[in-house]
Amino acid sequence: MSGTRRLLGSVVLLIALGAGSPAAAAEITVFAAASLADAVSEIGKAFAAASGHHVAFNFGASSDLGRQLRAGAPADVFFSADRTQMDGVEQDGLVRASDRVDLLSNTLVVVVPARVPRRLQAPAEIASFDRLALADPQAVPAGVYARQYLESVGLWAALQGRIVPTLNVRAALAAVESENLPAAIVYRTDAAVSSRVRVAFEVPRSAGPAIVYVMAPLAAASPAGRLFAEELTSPRAARVYEKYGFLVLAHR
Amino acid sequence: MPTREEWAIVLFTLRVAALGTAIILPLGVAAAALLARRRGAGRTVLDTLFSLPLVLPPTAVGVVLLDAFSRASPLGRWLAAAGIRIAFDWKGVVLATAVMSFPLLVRSALTAFEEVDPRLVGLARTLGCGPLQAFFRVTLPLAWRGVLAGTVLAFARALGEFGATVMLAGNIPGRTQTLALAIFHETQLGHDDRARVLAGVTALLAFAALWSSEAVGRARTRRAA
Amino acid sequence: MIRLDFQTPLARFPLRITADLAAPVTAVMGPSGAGKTSLLDSIAGLREIASGRMAIDDDVLVDTAAGRRTPPQHRRVGYVPQDAGLFPHLTVRENVLFGARGATREVGHAIDVLEIGSLGGRYPSALSGGEKQRVALARALATRPRLLLLDEPLAALDVSLRERIVPYLLRIRDEWSTPMLYVTHNVGEALALAGEVLLLESGRVEAQGAPLALLATPGLSREARAGIENLLAGEIEGHDPEGGVTRVRLAGGLIVAVSIVAERPVASAVTVAIRAEDVIVATEPVRGLSARNVYEAVVRGIERGPGDAAVRCAIRPELPEWLARLTPAAVAELGLSPGSRVWLAVKSHSVRVASAPPARTARAADLGTSRA
Repeated sequence: MSGTRRLLGSVVLLIALGAGSPAAAAEITVFAAASLADAVSEIGKAFAAASGHHVAFNFGASSDLGRQLRAGAPADVFFSADRTQMDGVEQDGLVRASDRVDLLSNTLVVVVPARVPRRLQAPAEIASFDRLALADPQAVPAGVYARQYLESVGLWAALQGRIVPTLNVRAALAAVESENLPAAIVYRTDAAVSSRVRVAFEVPRSAGPAIVYVMAPLAAASPAGRLFAEELTSPRAARVYEKYGFLVLAHR
Repeated sequence: MPTREEWAIVLFTLRVAALGTAIILPLGVAAAALLARRRGAGRTVLDTLFSLPLVLPPTAVGVVLLDAFSRASPLGRWLAAAGIRIAFDWKGVVLATAVMSFPLLVRSALTAFEEVDPRLVGLARTLGCGPLQAFFRVTLPLAWRGVLAGTVLAFARALGEFGATVMLAGNIPGRTQTLALAIFHETQLGHDDRARVLAGVTALLAFAALWSSEAVGRARTRRAA
Repeated sequence: MIRLDFQTPLARFPLRITADLAAPVTAVMGPSGAGKTSLLDSIAGLREIASGRMAIDDDVLVDTAAGRRTPPQHRRVGYVPQDAGLFPHLTVRENVLFGARGATREVGHAIDVLEIGSLGGRYPSALSGGEKQRVALARALATRPRLLLLDEPLAALDVSLRERIVPYLLRIRDEWSTPMLYVTHNVGEALALAGEVLLLESGRVEAQGAPLALLATPGLSREARAGIENLLAGEIEGHDPEGGVTRVRLAGGLIVAVSIVAERPVASAVTVAIRAEDVIVATEPVRGLSARNVYEAVVRGIERGPGDAAVRCAIRPELPEWLARLTPAAVAELGLSPGSRVWLAVKSHSVRVASAPPARTARAADLGTSRA
């Protein structure tokens, strides 16, 4: 990020602070992938405290969020867990190509309940689970990535009948936390925030699919919304992402 | 027109709804018979308990069921040891739909039982019937149409069950996906046209079921001897 | 012998009954809401009593002190409610057999006496009011009860139907030795059927005794304000078409002239009814009176009620006492008292020919003509 932009950002922030009376407080709506819940909430809370604006979050499967946006749901910022969903939204003219930022990456892990920890020695052992939870592999980014990986190691055919698709990646995590299912494939960042699961296997970055989180303010976003989009690309935010285990691809 | 897979979903939905309804029929009749005999605080407690699934959001009921049958619970562990799977399994679908439909059956049956002149039951008692005998020889024969109407209503409800089902049994295509869940899934995937076809089929089934329930109920009031 | 000594709360007052009932038929009377139906329900076991004791002969039905309560199905008490209470989903035959252990001789006898044999396959909705009551009676009798409870069994029927059922009730009284508790508002029915009256008021026994004796009590006289009929059994002696009179011979040879009923054959059994209000009392033999029926009698007793007096007169020892209803002023003016010699006058128009008399007489076979 250039120094002028940083200066400009701070000035705008100061003005926003100065105008932080309730009457001027704006409502910012952020649609973000479920796996970003903890990180983005933290960034949003700090931003709200500093700016006086109110930030509302809608966390869910990026596919679901994309569908909602395309159906007309009002929002200021879209933070998707893959490019496909952002492409769809851009296609409908809701996002300008120039506003898009490939912001984060992640890795996949196989998790099991903390009560029955296991470590897999090789990918093939994934086939040993009688059932496996994935965020819906037909649409949700986390599930799509997981399927791509399983296909790449030749396990998809064998496992396909044993997949339990969930609404989003956090639901897959929850199924293992409650021990309703023996294992799930989620992001490393999801496993990190849960004390009730253990990582049984980590998919190496080289072996796994290219995971890219794309963020963009919507074309119809409010000034305050654009401000928050800026905040999400800030160094301050970058530190938060890294704390939670994301790989930061770009920041100001 | 529905595809072959979609017809399979229709068939699956009809079967689990029928099975769920068959399970709650004797239970619902017994529960209604129990309620009909009581007055006062005891009855209010039971009535409220039986009616909870009707009033609670289906997802709340789903959460309760999931907690009760998850492997973390004693019941769940016992079932897992016996090799019986409830969560994320077709049995979970049957259980969820049965629980959600139960109050409808109980209420209909209760109304039917209470419509039976209590003096007739009393007369049966003076003629030598114990309470159970009087129930089977007088109350039930006079109330059977109301019970039937309630059963069909419960079946219709079971056809459309979503919230509790998706929580307890998940939305697994080919395994636990009922019509309601399939409609949701198709919209998630952006296949709105398929969703509309399925919604149309569901509407037709529900219409047929409700119409039958009404027809039976009408015949009952006509025949009030 | 039915021994009652119990109390139990009702909606507006407690039901407190202490009575020993020995008569074959006891009429239970009293104003609406006095607790008559609750009394029957308590005896049948349909209402649980709070405390007390109930026994039929040696069999204790309830003794709360000893913690003993026989459930209704074991009390062997038959119940005939006001509207017959037939099971609508069963045929007449199935209704009658409901509590019986198969088609026993008892059941056949009840069907015969109540003349419902031809109704077997019909459903209650296809029966008339009178037929329903008879089926209800047969159903109760088929269980060989020790006690029969009847709750205003004739109230739902019109007058002509009512008097057709009374003979059946009399038959039941005479042919079964089952005691009956008979709730009624109709004083005439009580007089015709009951040996004793139990008068209830606000849940308590206000009076207990012979029907005629109780007529003066305010409770009963209120009921009686509707009219009391003297019911007398007899047979047609002959018709006089030109004179417009039919002669009826009562027990003891007394002849009563009634308005011509030529359709009734000579020698057929009838019951005649004379309203107490229509009996004129004279202290001297009357000449030149239009009334066709004048009889000499002796006053046996005078029951005084508020603004009312019932004079009991004996014409013949074989006949039941006649009741004449007079104003207290008339009683005073005529100086009537027990032992007074009087003449009773009744117009033939005031005598009503009712239905056939009880089966007790040799005319039982003639009852075949009376089909309800």
